Amino acid sequence: MASLRDIKKNISSIKSIKQITYAMKMVAAARIKRAQGAILASRPFALKMETLIEDLYSELGEADLAGTPAHELFEERAEGGTLCLVLVTADKGLCGSFNTNLLKAAAAWLKENRGRKIRVVTVGRKGRDFLHRLKGLDLEIIHEMVGIFPKAGYVHAQLLVDELLKLYSDKNVESVTLIYNEFKSMMTQQIVTGRLLPLKRSVLEKKTCSTGQCGVFSFEPRKAELLSALLPRHIGAQLYRTLLESQAAELAARMNAMESASKNATELIEGLTLKMNKTRQAMITTELNEIVSGAEALGG
Amino acid sequence: MEKNHLLLTIVTPEKTVLSDKPVEAVTIPACGGEMGVLPGHASFVVQLKEGLMHYKEGQHKEVFAVLSGFAEIHQDKVMVLAEAAELSREVDEERARQAYQKAKQSLAVQGADLDLDEANAALRRAAVRLKLAEFRRTHKK
Repeated sequence: MASLRDIKKNISSIKSIKQITYAMKMVAAARIKRAQGAILASRPFALKMETLIEDLYSELGEADLAGTPAHELFEERAEGGTLCLVLVTADKGLCGSFNTNLLKAAAAWLKENRGRKIRVVTVGRKGRDFLHRLKGLDLEIIHEMVGIFPKAGYVHAQLLVDELLKLYSDKNVESVTLIYNEFKSMMTQQIVTGRLLPLKRSVLEKKTCSTGQCGVFSFEPRKAELLSALLPRHIGAQLYRTLLESQAAELAARMNAMESASKNATELIEGLTLKMNKTRQAMITTELNEIVSGAEALGG
Repeated sequence: MEKNHLLLTIVTPEKTVLSDKPVEAVTIPACGGEMGVLPGHASFVVQLKEGLMHYKEGQHKEVFAVLSGFAEIHQDKVMVLAEAAELSREVDEERARQAYQKAKQSLAVQGADLDLDEANAALRRAAVRLKLAEFRRTHKK
């Protein structure tokens, strides 16, 4: 049986752990508000961007588009080329199954595409470490971005886009896949495996001249050039949203994990305190017994 | 909406700076040079470069630094999609100057060519901020 002192030590260490987990929970809770605000604030830009692209596309004939750099982003590429993966994880642990699930999804994807040449862009320390540990795959880490959370900005998304577009145009990359955690609600995160490039044509074909404003716009510079300048920004806005979603999801996951950790610590402390009291009582009883029996032995 | 007003919207990825604000005139830094927009302007889509953007609302004038983006003018609505937009009073001149120096230095050193574009962009951004700060100083008097 553990001695009284051992239990006391145990309790005090659990108490200090609880303090840490509780503090982490509070920090996550405070940050998540800002993260959610950032997601909301990024929405208008993405929406306006889409309408602008639609407007532009409705003005632009298919013939104008062919052969431009913008067109290349939509073009399906022949199978068999290199694959590119963008993996967005957290920098830090202690956020429940957030990273584990992501890495599992990434591992599943890698298994599916075993034997292909794979290039990876990672965001977040956990994903990078995971990919560095992997062996026996035709894997090349092109770019790693570490330490941007919880202050992910548009600049980071911009850097990623530059990197990805360079990769996409120079090397023979078939498609770019994105794996990240989506912020569903405070309680749930969902892993999303989506295709980033080539772009979906559906972005364009929503309304072609339905509003009858065809031909009213003037452009500077030429339309095709404008579109090729616009599309990287569109991808940037998408990636920015991804980063923000992942950031909010991480904070939510951490908040939940730390809350249950604090709860568990409280339970543990309760149990240990009970045990400590019992031990102390038992000690007192034995001592009393000894004194009484000692007195009896003397007196008898 | 009044007849002689433009509705100005400025959005950046990080926040909405202005939303449907009625103004009298807007000047935007188009890629081919400055471009003034008054009510009744033809529909236009234009790419922006980094530069100063003014709008006028009665006696009140406001200056922004915009760092590359796009503008769409349609039916007296001006929509500016910029990568960043800063109000003139938000710009810290000292910091901008430091950033300018730093960008210049890193360009001079020219280490890894990977950072070259970034350094160039940083230089341009800092230059715009400096210009804005200068503009603010000269127009205050």
